[in-house]
Amino acid sequence: MYDYVIIGSGIVGTNIARELSQYQVKILVLEKENDAANHQTVANSAIIHSGHDPKENTLKAKLCVEGNALYEQMEKELNIPLLRTGAFVVAHNKDEELMLDELYERAIRNGVKEILFHDQEQAFKLEPNLADDITKVLSLPSTKVTYPWEVAFACLENAILNGTEFKKNSEVTDIKKEKDYFKVEINHKVIIETKSVISAAGVFSDQVAYLLEKNVPYQIYPRKGEYFVLDRKAKGFVQHVLYPLPTSKGKGVLIIPQVHGNILLGPTSNRQDEKDLLSNTRDGLNQIKDDLHTLAKNIPFNLIIRTFAGIRASSSFDDFYIQESKTYSNFFHVAGIDSPGLTAAPAIAKYLVDHLLKHHNLQKKNNYDPIRPKKTVFYKLDFEEQLALIKKDPRYGNLVCKCEKITEAEIVEAIHGPLGNDTIKGIKKRARAGSGLCQGGYCEQTVLKIIARETNQPIDKINYYALDTPILVQETKVKP
Amino acid sequence: MKKDLVIIGGGAAGLAAALSANHPDIHILVIEREKALGGILNQCIHNGFGLHVFKEELTGPEYASRYMDEFLKMNIEFLLDTTVVDVKKNDDFELTVSSFENGLFKINAKAVILSSGCYERTRGSIAIPGERPKGIMPAGSAQRYLNMDGYLVGKRIFILGSGDIGLIMARRMTLEGAKVLGVAEIMPYSNGLTRNIVQCLNDFDIPLYLSHTVTNVKGKDRLEQITIQEVDSQFNPIENTEKNFDVDTLLLSVGLVPDISLFDSLDFKRDAVTKSAVVNQFYETSVSGLFICGNALHVHDLADYVSVESEKAGKSAQKYILNSKEPSKQIHPIEFNSNIRYVVPQLIDFDQFKDSIDLSFRVSKKMDSAIFKIMQNGQVISTKRAKNLAPAEMEKINLKSVTLVDQSPISLILEEVIL
Repeated sequence: MYDYVIIGSGIVGTNIARELSQYQVKILVLEKENDAANHQTVANSAIIHSGHDPKENTLKAKLCVEGNALYEQMEKELNIPLLRTGAFVVAHNKDEELMLDELYERAIRNGVKEILFHDQEQAFKLEPNLADDITKVLSLPSTKVTYPWEVAFACLENAILNGTEFKKNSEVTDIKKEKDYFKVEINHKVIIETKSVISAAGVFSDQVAYLLEKNVPYQIYPRKGEYFVLDRKAKGFVQHVLYPLPTSKGKGVLIIPQVHGNILLGPTSNRQDEKDLLSNTRDGLNQIKDDLHTLAKNIPFNLIIRTFAGIRASSSFDDFYIQESKTYSNFFHVAGIDSPGLTAAPAIAKYLVDHLLKHHNLQKKNNYDPIRPKKTVFYKLDFEEQLALIKKDPRYGNLVCKCEKITEAEIVEAIHGPLGNDTIKGIKKRARAGSGLCQGGYCEQTVLKIIARETNQPIDKINYYALDTPILVQETKVKP
Repeated sequence: MKKDLVIIGGGAAGLAAALSANHPDIHILVIEREKALGGILNQCIHNGFGLHVFKEELTGPEYASRYMDEFLKMNIEFLLDTTVVDVKKNDDFELTVSSFENGLFKINAKAVILSSGCYERTRGSIAIPGERPKGIMPAGSAQRYLNMDGYLVGKRIFILGSGDIGLIMARRMTLEGAKVLGVAEIMPYSNGLTRNIVQCLNDFDIPLYLSHTVTNVKGKDRLEQITIQEVDSQFNPIENTEKNFDVDTLLLSVGLVPDISLFDSLDFKRDAVTKSAVVNQFYETSVSGLFICGNALHVHDLADYVSVESEKAGKSAQKYILNSKEPSKQIHPIEFNSNIRYVVPQLIDFDQFKDSIDLSFRVSKKMDSAIFKIMQNGQVISTKRAKNLAPAEMEKINLKSVTLVDQSPISLILEEVIL
């Protein structure tokens, strides 16, 4: 019998797992995909927002501001990458400048501590590529960016270190309430028993809730966001996250420097019915290009290396929906977590544990270890450090991904790590091999062979990502 | 470690450059990242190589082995499984090099030839709409899996782009039992060699959809279907021209880009069209002692032309080292009209112009009949007639020093002849 089953291993589920793992409880995290962090967490803007945008007196506002501060602590404990970019919200005329003033007031009321204005001259000094007609900017120094799925991995790795169990390829297909516990059915086969269920199932959270409840108090309204990724060569094009003024549709199309030097352009925000149709559209991509001209000039569209789309788990409820079920006690909804979900995630986990689980009288573990060891990023080390590492492990000498400068040792670590993975995309998410200019055109075949060697599998069994997605499908008639 | 000349990349370009640069007084080192010399030729098991250089038809590996045999006889030093990870230039070049066997070390070199080839444009760079399942891959990657590892990446194939690798792969995968349903090309003409259209598509009844592109991709985990649409002259899809194909693989043959990122830290003049360096007739960049040749300089249609060009680059590097590193002269750009996309070399140093220079270039559109004129100081100094010009095929014209009038700029003019 588990104390807690957490459904979903996105940024929210993994933060909850970590938060709970400091207590004397038995935790299981379930994930329906072949890897953690595979939906919203792997396809978003990567911004740790300051908290200027959410409506006052909402959970979104409160948990965004708290979450932003918690990332500073997570950086120290989990060794996650944070890039302190700061952000500008731009205005083009007197009317928009008045809206900046309103935003300023809102930010103050939300508890954003650092906030200031730059006039045109100051703004252009700091960001020479701002669009020429920008007249004033609101500066939010506490805005930063991270590498979202590494944060989720770090939380889950740390939770696992502290005793949490994790099962992937495990879709919840039924939930039944017994007297004082739940029966959670996985893949129509296995039944797991748990005292409490925490649903952090992202876009699927209403479906998961309907497995148990007749009336679910919210509906998920999926909202797609499309993006372009610029190569690392674009590094320095802008230093800050650039926001237009928010509208009723959201925060608009942004320019976002990334921790590894890339720049994201996006997102769009369009309602769609399908929860997992992660398709890019011609209209969406064109809209990004059109909208960005109000933010910046000289945008290096020639450095686009990839497009992607993510689905926000927006809901019919006008805020995050973090509540215990009205009908079934000990079933907890953590739903409707759209933007600023990444920022808020650690605060959501604390809020859940400190407020909703208060009556569970959780006892702290004596041996809880909040530290997730630092990952080696070989190319960032200086020459002497690199020499020393190669001496210990010559596989650091074998450069596999030329674009992102990733070595064989880092790929092996990604395969065998605490949350290891044996797929091409799983390795890309962990070690960044294939994230660069040639998008794996050169290194994929090497990565595939390293995975096969390290996991004792034939090369035609190595999957791209999901189960049964082998890259190589049939042997040739004559072997080379 | 100190060397006179380091050649980065031991494929068609690097080997030819090494052979011609070889000299008793010059210590050469060739660095190759793969386990064998020969570069991309090793995976090109089709024939069609060597017609110009050897006057016979060879496969890629056969063509490579001709150069390799010669190379090995000369006892030129080379490192396999070794990657150059960083480069600095003071008086000499300082290369940081890495391998499993030898770890990380530095090499000083008087001159460098960059013969690192090119990489394939990807789905992301052309922003194909749709989902992102497994099964979408550059044609060259699929070629490598097929010819080097012995595996097909799919059984029902569609190919986007009529570049030569895509065409070659259409035939190759068909012969291996896969079904190739078609090739879509966004331009109104093919981007591959005519002989490949005939031998790889027509001979196997594989349809070529000109003025078409892929406008949607379906499949969550595995590719299930692609949609192609006809495009107008602005490349916008035309409504109601959708055709769906149920496939498990979409191969991309949508262009090659010179792979010179390694040298991004050095400040040299670049050509926006070739996406590589600007060079003079010695294939020397604006960084003295840095030579570039082969597909790292501009994408060639034939390996033979890579060899010819790289031999010249090798000779130039040899001279540079023997003449104690005379600084690169980057003067007198070659001008050209809009019927021409680019010309390599982009610059001429008249003071050292002896004999002749091959000007390599690509035309901007298909022309049945045309005339080239080399002009200087308002005079036509040379002309050449040409038939069946296409952007897919590299053109060459020879500029002889004796025809020069003076040292005023050279321009290359291409005029279409309407018959």
